[in-house]
Amino acid sequence: MNANAFKNPFLFYVASDVCRQAAGAPLNMKKAIGFLLIVSISLISPTFLLAQSGKEVLIRNATILTAAKGTLQNSDILIQNGKIARIGKNLRASADAQIIDGSGKFVTPGIIDAHSHSAVDGSVNEFSYSVTSMVRIEDVLDSKDISVYRGLAGGVTAANIMHGSANAIGGQVSTVKFKYGRPVGEFLMTDAPPGIKFALGENPKRTNFQPQPGQTFRYPRTRMGVMETIRDAFLRAKDYRQAWSDFRAGKTKIQPRRDLELEPLVEVLEGKRIVHAHGYRSDEHLNLMLIADEIGFKIGVLQHGLEAYKIAPEVAKHGAGVSIFVDSWGYKLEAWDSIPYNAYICWKNGVSVSINSDSDERMRRLNLDAAKVMKYGGVPEQDALQMITLNAAKQMGIDKRTGSIEVGKDADIAIWSAHPFSVYSRVEMTLVEGEVFFDIAKDVQKREELKKEREALEKLEVNKPPGSGPTTQPTIPREKREAHRDDADGGNR
Amino acid sequence: MKKFILRFSFAIFVFSAVCSSVNAQNRTDVFAIINAQIITVSGATIAKGTVVVRDGLIEAVGENVKVPADARVIDGAGLTVYPGLFDAYSNLGIPVRATPQPGQTQAAAQTVSNSTYPDGLRAEESVTEILRAGDAQFEAVRNAGFTTALTVGRDGMLNGQSAVINLAGDSVSAMIIRAPFAEHVTFRPISGGAFPTSLMGSYTALRQMLLDAQRLEAWQKLYETNPRGTKRPPRDATLETLIPVANGTMPVVLNANSENEMNRAIDMIAEFKLKGIIAGGQEAWKVADRLKKQNVPVLLSLNFPKRTAAASSEADGEPLELLRLRAETPKGAARLQTAGVKFAFQTGGMTSVADFLGNAAKAIENGLDKNAAIRAMTLSTAEILGVDNRLGSIESGKIANLVLVRGDIFAKDRTVTHVFVDGKMFEQKEKPKTATPTTTTSSVAQIGGNYNVTVEIPGQPIPGTLSLIQQGSILTGTWQTLNQTVEIKDGKVTADGFSFSATILFEGNTNDITVNGKVSGNEISGTVSTPGGAIPFRGTKIP
Repeated sequence: MNANAFKNPFLFYVASDVCRQAAGAPLNMKKAIGFLLIVSISLISPTFLLAQSGKEVLIRNATILTAAKGTLQNSDILIQNGKIARIGKNLRASADAQIIDGSGKFVTPGIIDAHSHSAVDGSVNEFSYSVTSMVRIEDVLDSKDISVYRGLAGGVTAANIMHGSANAIGGQVSTVKFKYGRPVGEFLMTDAPPGIKFALGENPKRTNFQPQPGQTFRYPRTRMGVMETIRDAFLRAKDYRQAWSDFRAGKTKIQPRRDLELEPLVEVLEGKRIVHAHGYRSDEHLNLMLIADEIGFKIGVLQHGLEAYKIAPEVAKHGAGVSIFVDSWGYKLEAWDSIPYNAYICWKNGVSVSINSDSDERMRRLNLDAAKVMKYGGVPEQDALQMITLNAAKQMGIDKRTGSIEVGKDADIAIWSAHPFSVYSRVEMTLVEGEVFFDIAKDVQKREELKKEREALEKLEVNKPPGSGPTTQPTIPREKREAHRDDADGGNR
Repeated sequence: MKKFILRFSFAIFVFSAVCSSVNAQNRTDVFAIINAQIITVSGATIAKGTVVVRDGLIEAVGENVKVPADARVIDGAGLTVYPGLFDAYSNLGIPVRATPQPGQTQAAAQTVSNSTYPDGLRAEESVTEILRAGDAQFEAVRNAGFTTALTVGRDGMLNGQSAVINLAGDSVSAMIIRAPFAEHVTFRPISGGAFPTSLMGSYTALRQMLLDAQRLEAWQKLYETNPRGTKRPPRDATLETLIPVANGTMPVVLNANSENEMNRAIDMIAEFKLKGIIAGGQEAWKVADRLKKQNVPVLLSLNFPKRTAAASSEADGEPLELLRLRAETPKGAARLQTAGVKFAFQTGGMTSVADFLGNAAKAIENGLDKNAAIRAMTLSTAEILGVDNRLGSIESGKIANLVLVRGDIFAKDRTVTHVFVDGKMFEQKEKPKTATPTTTTSSVAQIGGNYNVTVEIPGQPIPGTLSLIQQGSILTGTWQTLNQTVEIKDGKVTADGFSFSATILFEGNTNDITVNGKVSGNEISGTVSTPGGAIPFRGTKIP
């Protein structure tokens, strides 16, 4: 590593710290703006840091937390064509390989956020109906969203980008690799199994939200209504599937309508689409699993699942995973009854547990959330690490490709300055499929380049302010105004 | 005596010809423009030649064309004749839809229709139904050299069917060159709370409607061949309009500017094998290879982004992306030309149509070939709009749409002296050189300033401050309300009102809203259209 990496070693940490405070007290504008100033200079051009594809990369002499086969000391990882080719000691690479000195560093699989709303243009909720399975995150992805770059700076390499939770069935989610700035076709993991977002409880029943003037109350208005809405949608999907099978068998003459709302539900019935079900209360998640059993499909992941510890054996029996916050609850009534041992109890019962961020900003510190799981219940280190890597990959159906450091998997890797579960650790480099997408040393250099570019651009006639006229009002960038996760302010995320 | 009469009538003829060249009256429909440089666009430039116009058509063009005896002669010495300019995307001749009054619901302001689709998704709505006839409304654009335009509805996600029109004519039917030309799509939520209420939903909405149109077409064919024993297909004006779009026989114009929007539009064109055209194209150059590969032409806006706000020591620097966008946009046309992408210029809602030629000149400064620039406002446009057998170049038999310019058309000191539309001459008095040709600024309301605004939700009025910055018909600024400051987008000022959109947090929901308002002295009022319906608002200017 370049020694320049340590020019300003505390910058990133300080920024995070201020951000945490600012998030806790949104009215503390001074601090928030100070934070903005720090973060805004790290806006990086998407074309930056494009490592040469196909080239060999050799990470040497690092402590490797494989998230699958324990921790390897003083070991190397050889990357060829974006895949992990070899893991071992004293590995050799071709002459033109990129060598990364891992001495004193810790290497983990890239972190996978199983619940994200980043990199989406426009609203994440289609408010018109309670069932909007026809809408697709894929249509509005923005691979240049700065939160993607900031996620990379926290070691995140993949995420499950989902709709909000305003609807019982929200829409078709997207699994992405954090190839910042690349065309959406590369950003999207096209071979990942498709997923769909469901939501239970307060958000889809809309009782906490005044209908906007002119809008009539939308069905459903109760928790039982939400369940009925989901059951009804699947009964319609079954009829739809039958109509097509009758047509294909020649029993009907006129081709049925292709219904973009029901097609993804048929895929759920056929086990081809993973259900991610937002919910807080155990009774609701339990009910949903009963409906799924009744109709004949599987719930893939219980999202949030703050009370999953109450129904851990039932969740294990159904085969669902849970994707949770470690120690965040109480932000609304239905999110009341959680405990920090939630992850531990689920894990102990054989449930696949992942820890998600649900936030542009908290995504960057999922490593610390994993560390908390060791504290609360004493989950072993590798199992805790899996909760932000391999388990998330399994829940998203991409564990054959990513989630752990194993030969043959994609080289999605984060390199840390210290043990990732230490508060003093920070990400120094993040690779996605063998390409360096974040490098803390180059980030520092790039800030200077951007500063120069800005100065040059501001001198252009077209960017000069007119002599008179109204002035720009100070504004806070949109991403800083958004509340985090599904709390009383943010709602519906 | 006979000789005298002949001589006398010749004198009258000469006299009247002289008169006609200074008068706007058209007593005859035969003209000969002589001694002019002629940019034919389709062929070689004629250094000094004659164009003969008869009965609305170009009768002859060339160096040695005989001036017909019955022609009114225009001495073109020092003038250059170009084919009449096209605006490849406009709302010319289309009245602005009435702004709902406070208290009036959005639904009441909507069009009456039996369609099963909500307002905003009615593909069948055609500009020919609402076009205003008459010459006067187009005077400003004609004076800027335009003779022809594609005109498109403003509203909705499906903007309806467009038409290619001539910018003169006493009746709508006399104006129309080609209608319908295409179906138009702007990916955005519709108002009134119906699907889609989100950008995301708008892509699905089009996808589902195209699938439904494909199915209807197959069903109709099945029924036509064998009605007995086949259930009758439903009549659906909206879907029937989309059948030729879905089967690729009618062009569909998709509005897209940013790279993401461009890619999404190109994806949609590829998915359904549409006869797609992009309108806007601010960052089209970033996806030029895709446009070339899929043979998608661009109606490229010459409304280049400008900085409108003065410097402020309080505010942060402008986003780097915006600084880059302003620097790069004028280079776009040259890059499309290099990549071999077909493009035509449009005004893109610019404040002053005089900027059209000025910004084309900027595109030339940034590397665009001058002939390509002229082509992009004449023959290329005609080709994309499918009217190149009638328009777009100076060739005999084509419609006599011409513009006569003194000076270089791309120079600041150019003067448009005559414009011919359908062979009808419009003459422009040469303006004093100092006058800045702003044609529409005076016709828009003055709205800039700060307003105390209340959104009148019954029992729950929401106060806020609206800071509006106006430059011509472009509106920018912010709205501080509900503990947030949102930037206003797509802001426009019309003769007596304004509109803009914004994304606002309300009751925990992120909402895309549209605001339509009117100005009366220091008061503003109008409606905020939310996904759930329209809410009235009122405001008073803060002195």
